[in-house]
Amino acid sequence: MARLEAFDLAADPPKGWDGEIYRRDDDGIEGRAALFGSTEVATPILHLANFPLPASRGDYGGGAVELMGRGGIFVSLLEHPSHEGQTALFAANDVPWPLRASDFDPKQMQRAIGGQAGCQRFFTHNGRAFCLYVAIGSYGTRSVLVREVNAALASLELG
Amino acid sequence: MLTLVILEGIVLALLGVLVVGLLRSHAEILRRLHDLGAGVFDDEEDTAAQGVTSTVEMSERPSIRTREGVPEPRTSAVTEGHDVSGVTPSGNAKAIGVVGAEHSTLLAFLSSGCGTCGDFWRAFSVGEADSLPGRDTRLVVVTKGPDEESVSAVRELAAGATVTVMSSDAFEDYGVPVSPYFILVDGPSGSIVGEGAAGNWSQVANLLRQAAADAGLTTDGSSRHDAVARMRDGEVREARADADLMAAGILPGHPSLYPESSAEDESR
Repeated sequence: MARLEAFDLAADPPKGWDGEIYRRDDDGIEGRAALFGSTEVATPILHLANFPLPASRGDYGGGAVELMGRGGIFVSLLEHPSHEGQTALFAANDVPWPLRASDFDPKQMQRAIGGQAGCQRFFTHNGRAFCLYVAIGSYGTRSVLVREVNAALASLELG
Repeated sequence: MLTLVILEGIVLALLGVLVVGLLRSHAEILRRLHDLGAGVFDDEEDTAAQGVTSTVEMSERPSIRTREGVPEPRTSAVTEGHDVSGVTPSGNAKAIGVVGAEHSTLLAFLSSGCGTCGDFWRAFSVGEADSLPGRDTRLVVVTKGPDEESVSAVRELAAGATVTVMSSDAFEDYGVPVSPYFILVDGPSGSIVGEGAAGNWSQVANLLRQAAADAGLTTDGSSRHDAVARMRDGEVREARADADLMAAGILPGHPSLYPESSAEDESR
């Protein structure tokens, strides 16, 4: 099993899953500095997927979820600057998993894609603020896919 | 009567000579066979019982010669795939699910320095490897880790859509002696179904097609992802919807296309 570890985040992706932990702190065209100015704090993002993650994709899976089949799962854990953890949005102070099938809704997709459903949760953990976003390939089989989602989420370690 | 007895005696004598001749011939054949090394692998007890033994010196298997710039096949007997983990040229932590995946994975072990690798980096950057034979085969370029590779050189070469992982562990796990080298792993079984080296991408593509065909996988490069992308393409989707509606007898202007509820909504 391939282990992912960086920026005080870690995961042991389930068999056959892809994963990546990155931070947009470069000066490239998609870098934080280019997008938000140099004052923006670069925070890590963790992606997991049970399908091949393309090399280039958005933080919320743009460019990846479009390739997802009906059994596909995409997980994005985005850390926010710690001061945002004081806001009401991040009131929940524990990890939101395990998720339930009823947590998924087509309207929670970042961009609606026929048949797919999403789930988004904001929370803090050990003083760190996170946003969890999960997309599944089929709303109709969410009760099956949610088990696989939770298996992947259970492998996450948030420093 | 006496004549018959004499004739019978002569015939028996001739048969006896014939049998002795055959036995001598058989013994000579056995002796020649032993001289040629027959029975050399028999147990000592058996050979002692059989008598004659001889030894044959087994010469070493001649080494395989490849064209200049093309590495020799792996010497290790690794037949099972391994997941790949390492860092991207940008420094991100990266894990590739190879074993247990629904798709096949073509691992391209390259380096930034070798001359032969140049053609592969070029081919990948211009999308020549976008369609691969096999079970939804994906391409993953693997270089050695940052401690053994030039990160900046790999970053420059890997610019594009190809997933690139820097991992010395992957080279070790797969027993890859030198780059360029290619290994095709079937995800569901986790087995290596093909491997080899070549001087350019077209040769590798041919090897892949053969390996995929031998493994019973598709060889036309068709991909579920391609199919999904085509299914989601706007024009194709619209045409498919039109065809389904027409097949059901629903033509332009059909009342079902203008339900009352919509009309009511509009009137509000």
